[in-house]
Amino acid sequence: MAVQDTADDLELHRRLAAGDRSAFDELYRRYAAQAYGLAYRVTGQQMLAQDVVHDAFMALWRAPEAFDERRGSFRTFFLSMVHHRGVDQVRREQRLRARTEKAANLDPVEDEDPADAVAEAGYLSVRRKEVRAALTELPAAQRQVLEMAYFDGKTQVQIAEELGIPLGTVKTRTLAAMRKLRTLLEEAT
Amino acid sequence: MIDHEAADELLAGYVLGSLTGPDAEEADRLLTEHVPDCLTCRATLDAFQGVTGELGMVADPLAPPETLLPRIERELTGGRRRSGLRGWSPTRIVAGAAAAVVLVGAAGIALTHGGSGSADPLTQADLAQVQTMADQPDTQRRDLGGGTSEIEPADREELYVMGVGVADPRPGFTYRLWAVQGDSATFIGDFMPLDGRVALKVSVDPNAVDSLLVTEEPAGSTPTQPGEPAWDATG
Repeated sequence: MAVQDTADDLELHRRLAAGDRSAFDELYRRYAAQAYGLAYRVTGQQMLAQDVVHDAFMALWRAPEAFDERRGSFRTFFLSMVHHRGVDQVRREQRLRARTEKAANLDPVEDEDPADAVAEAGYLSVRRKEVRAALTELPAAQRQVLEMAYFDGKTQVQIAEELGIPLGTVKTRTLAAMRKLRTLLEEAT
Repeated sequence: MIDHEAADELLAGYVLGSLTGPDAEEADRLLTEHVPDCLTCRATLDAFQGVTGELGMVADPLAPPETLLPRIERELTGGRRRSGLRGWSPTRIVAGAAAAVVLVGAAGIALTHGGSGSADPLTQADLAQVQTMADQPDTQRRDLGGGTSEIEPADREELYVMGVGVADPRPGFTYRLWAVQGDSATFIGDFMPLDGRVALKVSVDPNAVDSLLVTEEPAGSTPTQPGEPAWDATG
């Protein structure tokens, strides 16, 4: 990852915190596509993904002080926020769908087609390759539970049930995966 | 003595949003009672949160719908930022309501509020009276979602939030009540259901409030701006 780009993010965030609308626009230009791609991957629906990204950017504008540069990069902060909101949406949808289906026995909503892929800044592309490479270095069993939790928004209990393994095993695999990824990603930075 | 291996397991599940039930409650305790004072756990939490952010890079970037940016721009222009934006003026309500709003919960309901006063908990007799008022034809009732309703008796300077079968917020979160008028929202107080029950009285001139709003917010966070509604309301 280019150091300059990280520094740019911090500068943009400082300007954003001071109410600089152009800084917000630039952060949107930088991260909207990645945020939307992530939100779509997690929620599987365009409308939900759009809501997630909308809410994340509005939260950023309304409370920019939520980001603390001592605790990590702006990019990971923002994408972590997008992921968190995406999982939230998935859970709400699951609850709503469960209630609706129980009440009316309706068919689940069909997924919509995703939007087009986009070009992006080079350093983001480089980092994507690094993160994907790190993910492939995880043992398959660890990667599986991590992906089910992260991209499918499943709870550890759901993962244990689906895989037919003890909950404790899901916990230990998750922790092992997170620790290994932490190391791999730090090495790649 | 804390078992840091077990703590790390909880933190890993927490940052992924994959904990439920007793694990989520345990993580909540860990995050409120231990992590703030433990350098090791704070470093682990930050690192794991960094990993969840990095994992977001795995997804292919996609062009957002063309409607997204105009939607955001409308809100940016319309205001709602704590400072610096025209139109967002929480004092519009605060000026009229801060001294008047008193939030009272039924006995046992965990309740905090923004320095707007205090009063004795609602008694069973109070609740019975609210129920009676709620059944009156001139009382307005509005669904707030999640099993809760806003009840506005006629000719009384108070609103009620009543609910049964209300789910607890996520671990580490609390429900937050706001008074909304136009584009402004005023923090009223935080609350937690008791055995799925919610019974709150908001002493305020209903004419100064368009509606009440319940959001789910991180416990202990500063109530600056309301997030998304905690539940989907039917109207």
